[in-house]
Amino acid sequence: MFALMPVNIRLALRSLSRNRLRTLLTMLGMIIGVAAVLTMVALGTGARASVEGEVGSAGTKLVFVHSGNYIRGGASVGIEEGSGGADTLTLADMNAIKSEVQGIKFISPGLSTRTSVTVGATKAFAKIEGVAPAYSDAYSWDLKPGKMFEDNSSQAVVGRALADQLFGKGSNPVGKSMQIRDQVFEIVGVTSGESEDHKDTVFVPYQKLQSALGMQNIKEIVIAADKAGEASRIGEDVKKVLRKRHGQGNGAAKSYLSAQAGSGTSPDDFTVETQAAQALTKGLYTPAAAFALANLPKLDEVNLEEMADTLDHASDTMTALLASIAGVSLIVGGIGIMNIMLVSVTERTREIGLRVASGARSSDVAMQFLIEAVTLSVLGGLIGLVLGLVASRLIGWSLAWPVSVSFAAMGLAMGIAAAVGLVFGIYPARRASLLDPIDALRTE
Amino acid sequence: MSIISLQGLKKTYKLGDNIVQALAGVTLDIAQGEFVAITGPSGSGKSTMMHILGCLDRPTEGKYMLNGKDVSSLPRDELADIRNKQIGFVFQGFNLLPRTTAVENVEVPLLYTRPVMPAAERRERAMKALTAMGLQDRYDHHPNQLSGGQQQRVAIARALVNEPTLILADEPTGNLDTKTSIEVMRILQELREEKGITIVLITHEPDIAAYGTRIIAVRDGKILSDEPNTPRSTLEMAPEQIMVTAN
Ligand SMILES: Nc1ncnc2c1ncn2[C@@H]1O[C@H](COP(=O)(O)OP(=O)(O)O)[C@@H](O)[C@H]1O
Ligand SMILES: [Mg+2]
Repeated sequence: MFALMPVNIRLALRSLSRNRLRTLLTMLGMIIGVAAVLTMVALGTGARASVEGEVGSAGTKLVFVHSGNYIRGGASVGIEEGSGGADTLTLADMNAIKSEVQGIKFISPGLSTRTSVTVGATKAFAKIEGVAPAYSDAYSWDLKPGKMFEDNSSQAVVGRALADQLFGKGSNPVGKSMQIRDQVFEIVGVTSGESEDHKDTVFVPYQKLQSALGMQNIKEIVIAADKAGEASRIGEDVKKVLRKRHGQGNGAAKSYLSAQAGSGTSPDDFTVETQAAQALTKGLYTPAAAFALANLPKLDEVNLEEMADTLDHASDTMTALLASIAGVSLIVGGIGIMNIMLVSVTERTREIGLRVASGARSSDVAMQFLIEAVTLSVLGGLIGLVLGLVASRLIGWSLAWPVSVSFAAMGLAMGIAAAVGLVFGIYPARRASLLDPIDALRTE
Repeated sequence: MSIISLQGLKKTYKLGDNIVQALAGVTLDIAQGEFVAITGPSGSGKSTMMHILGCLDRPTEGKYMLNGKDVSSLPRDELADIRNKQIGFVFQGFNLLPRTTAVENVEVPLLYTRPVMPAAERRERAMKALTAMGLQDRYDHHPNQLSGGQQQRVAIARALVNEPTLILADEPTGNLDTKTSIEVMRILQELREEKGITIVLITHEPDIAAYGTRIIAVRDGKILSDEPNTPRSTLEMAPEQIMVTAN
């Protein structure tokens, strides 16, 4: 029965190509249906994948503590105004966190400035970041060539773009020295990271930058959790430690905000953000969404599941819309195929009679028409696939929505197309196979 | 041994309260290598008989032995295999598939042989059958690019391609002019003489029946007469042509 598949497919293609316009119109439902299925899956998985991708490599291990509090509030939105951007964190804060909070793998302060660096006669303006050696592990730096500097040493790691600028393109500056203000550093590594904040940056031990700049306060603290999934808990503990140290959260109730702000009544002078929360605000590219999320109280507690849920929820509406378009189109497409196949059986009654007289069994006849129906739906599906790829790109682009089309999604769409052809092709095929060959041969 | 043996064959159709007896008890033996012409007026039951002989239909009553095997009540799939292997059909309307080349038309019966025949062998055998009909140069022509006689020769090639022992031809010359009709009759005579193929020809024209070795006349579903016949030579001119020449 299946041995004649190639012949039957050829026959199907020939009979379909005879009536191109009719074939195309018949396939329209399939085309739209499959395109809708593909777009739906592309938008759904794209949203999820973008979040998981952002968080992916490091998991949800990182927690950021920033000086200051940028929450934009005011009476009109019912959110306490943040205190702004003063550097309120100190090294003592960091050490307190390190000793009081459990489950920390690395902790590094971050402070930065912009100043000029010199190598011989070459001078460049660069961003100088003071961090702990653990920083490179927390961010999974790719140091090529070289290695991370040692704690409190006069060593530095430079970004690739800056190295190119100072030492020539593609050069190896490891072992050479550079001067930052009046201090000399030996270059021990180059970060080849693509990220913008790596390219033009010099990383030095934070102690050196502190002494050079006379800075006591630090801009941020980066913490890596021992285990993924502990970030929210660590963030919460960090807040407690800092609130105690900064004397916040136990003052008199003076805020209409106490409900949302959790335990605190006066606004914090720091911000704790988990990597997941950061990814979420990044994942939704639109500024409006980022603003809305940035102003959500307790955003720092958002974990991966909640974040994915949020995006899922946002994509639910679109999925529901596309699913109904897909469902209706596929049913209409299937009925269209059934209709045209019934017409085809009637038109080709004599052909069926001749085949039966020549020794075709009724299963052979049924198979021929079934394969023709599936060929029709799969062809429609292929066109729909192309249309779906274009449509999902367009929608993704116009709504700034991340899309991802997997081979599995394409396979699913084609599988649905074939299944529709099979289901709606059964009745016409059966009709064809049950034709009385004598009547069939008599038809003129 | 007789290739066809019919005993008390009846076929009745019920149309509402009316009962039509298309075949009213036919007993008949046809030996291997005969060229039997069955004649009779319209409605006498010729086609009904051919459908039963061709295993396209089953008798209401009676027995049909084909090559020594009772086929009166075989299941549909087995009848299909018998049609495929043992019987070749030639129809009045040629019944070629439109927009399909001659060679592909001839290949149709080969598609349904069991076990399945490889495509290359199908093509080779179809070309051989076409060549036997002198149409090897027209193998890629569509039916609408061929004359009536050529179309009927393609149909005969198709009937022969599976090397059947029996050819059933229902009014094969009905749509052809006299000259082409004689050509087709010559082909059928040669098949009988050279390959020993048994031919059952149905026609209402006495002129055409005259080419057979035996003429059976049917009327109202019964055999009226059954006579051996000295086949007319295809080298003779048909009476119409003699008249045309005389004028
Ligand atoms: N399917 C059918 N239903 C009812 N009556 C039929 C059917 N087929 C044939 N008949 C009747 O049987 C008789 C014989 O028909 P048929 O074998 O076609 O005759 P012929 O081929 O000699 O013209 C006719 O009276 C015809 O009307
Ligand atoms: Mg008839």
